[in-house]
Amino acid sequence: MTSPVVARGLAKTYGSGQAAVPVFSGLSLEIADGEFVAIVGPSGSGKSTLLHLLAGLDRPDAGEVEIDGEPLARMSAAALARLRNEKIGFVFQFHHLLPEFSALENVAMPLRLAGVARKRAEAQAGELLAQVGLSARAGHRPAEMSGGELQRAAIARAVAARPPILFADEPTGNLDTENAEIVFALLRKLHAERGKSAVLVTHDRDLARRCDKIFSMTREGVKAGDVREV
Amino acid sequence: MPVELFIALRYLSASRKRAHVALVSAISVAGLALGVAALVVSIALLTGFQDKIRTRLAANTPHLVVEPSSSETFSDASAMARAVSGDRDVRRVDPAFEGRGWVADGRSRTILPARYRAGADSPKAGETEVSTAVAGQLGVARGSLVVVASLRTVLTPLGPIPVTVPLRVSSLRRAGTLEATPDLAISRADAAVLAGDPDPVSRLEVRLADPSRADAVARRLRGSLGKAVVVRTARQLNSGLDFALRLEKVLIFVTVFLIVLVAALNVVSDLALLVVEKRRDLGVLATLGASPRALSRVYWWLGGSISGIGTVAGVAIGAALSWALDFFSLVRLPADVYVLDHVPFALHPRDLALVLLFSAAAALAATAMPARSAARVGPAEALRLSR
Repeated sequence: MTSPVVARGLAKTYGSGQAAVPVFSGLSLEIADGEFVAIVGPSGSGKSTLLHLLAGLDRPDAGEVEIDGEPLARMSAAALARLRNEKIGFVFQFHHLLPEFSALENVAMPLRLAGVARKRAEAQAGELLAQVGLSARAGHRPAEMSGGELQRAAIARAVAARPPILFADEPTGNLDTENAEIVFALLRKLHAERGKSAVLVTHDRDLARRCDKIFSMTREGVKAGDVREV
Repeated sequence: MPVELFIALRYLSASRKRAHVALVSAISVAGLALGVAALVVSIALLTGFQDKIRTRLAANTPHLVVEPSSSETFSDASAMARAVSGDRDVRRVDPAFEGRGWVADGRSRTILPARYRAGADSPKAGETEVSTAVAGQLGVARGSLVVVASLRTVLTPLGPIPVTVPLRVSSLRRAGTLEATPDLAISRADAAVLAGDPDPVSRLEVRLADPSRADAVARRLRGSLGKAVVVRTARQLNSGLDFALRLEKVLIFVTVFLIVLVAALNVVSDLALLVVEKRRDLGVLATLGASPRALSRVYWWLGGSISGIGTVAGVAIGAALSWALDFFSLVRLPADVYVLDHVPFALHPRDLALVLLFSAAAALAATAMPARSAARVGPAEALRLSR
């Protein structure tokens, strides 16, 4: 069976010439179907960059990424956008909800972009907000919500279009312990309910230990490890 | 409602709450509206004057003129007049004779080339109505004697000499604005002597029930009367003036349209500001699956909305201003100096449609660059730069 996420020989450098900053090179990993994986590593090791490459938000300088067996390198920008909409959910460290739209409209946005009619999209978004305990906040704009609520709404948005793969870039990094625990539990719950693959970048070793698998990133590359060793 | 329009409208309504974006957007809309209003008023002013000129021209010029193509006069003018009158759109046909020759004062001290005419409003035989310009040059007044000579000659023992007719000046005529006044108006009897033809008719002057049908009637007459005649419309008779009026309108349109172009540049800066401000959101939308084309469409809708509001408001302001200026005669002119007592303003639907079309096109063209740059926003880069 094809792994939903495969990366082979990835390399990424920011800038060029003397100002070039190599982030990593020759990086390979594979995430199996249904796995809940954590990527850990020191700051600057390229965890977020790796996540962006895996999610098709950026293109590698070398190597290739395959999502559900489809190589991203050969895809046009429009095809990549469609793939992100249909197959990938992304949770940012800072919620990145659109400030002009209510929580309901934000959660409905991936469905609207997929062509779902507003009424139906918002009905589905309303159900999701109920699942994350934010029914009462549906009509509120991001500026009127707390950090934990924002991140829960962001998670609801990431899974709204029922993508088979969920990426989360330090989703608890900006939250206090209590809210971090709520958000992590929510991620695990949604993963368990939907049985999809999830990749979590985190600094939090405790959270990483509670994942199925851990990839540790260093300057030298990425290494798959046992959660008990972290 | 397409999601791109939904996003654009939300950005527009939300921008009212952010002072700097709201100010720039308001300047864009107001600039466009002012530019378009200026264009509408300028065109209305010009059209008002041109309509007056054309109306006066139509009053003084026959709608159609039928002339023989290969001789100076018609061989059978009555038959030709009947044939022309047979057209369903023709209201009146007046035979006229126009000739060229010379005119001299009674003592032949001054001789000038002259154009004489015998038409429906001719003086009595033996008399002539002289234009003030010619009378001044000849030094003649009412009651003076002038001698009119035609280009036609008669053979005498002294050789060929021009045919002449002595005429008494019955009145002087001052040419009105845009009137093609002949130098001399003479009677049909005197015209017959000068032309050597008992009933000389060099042109049939045709009036139509509806002057706007002149081109169609001219085409029909050319078809029915054949190549023996030349049919010209009032516009063809005044083609030089007509060209000048059209050129003037085009030049004013192009010149004032520059204001609209400057206003369109405001739209560019407004949208460019919005692209920079919304870079992070564009990155988020791209992450959620918005295609480059969808991101571009958001800005097309934004530009379209700003352009639409500005252009429609401008046309409405311009049209209302033009109507008020004309209806209440707000710009007065000294009637003893000018032909008109106020500056006329007139708007034709075609002019308004052109203003709408060109202004909207300019403003939409201004949207192209920001829309393209929105489409190029890469999600990872946008999110990294907006941290």
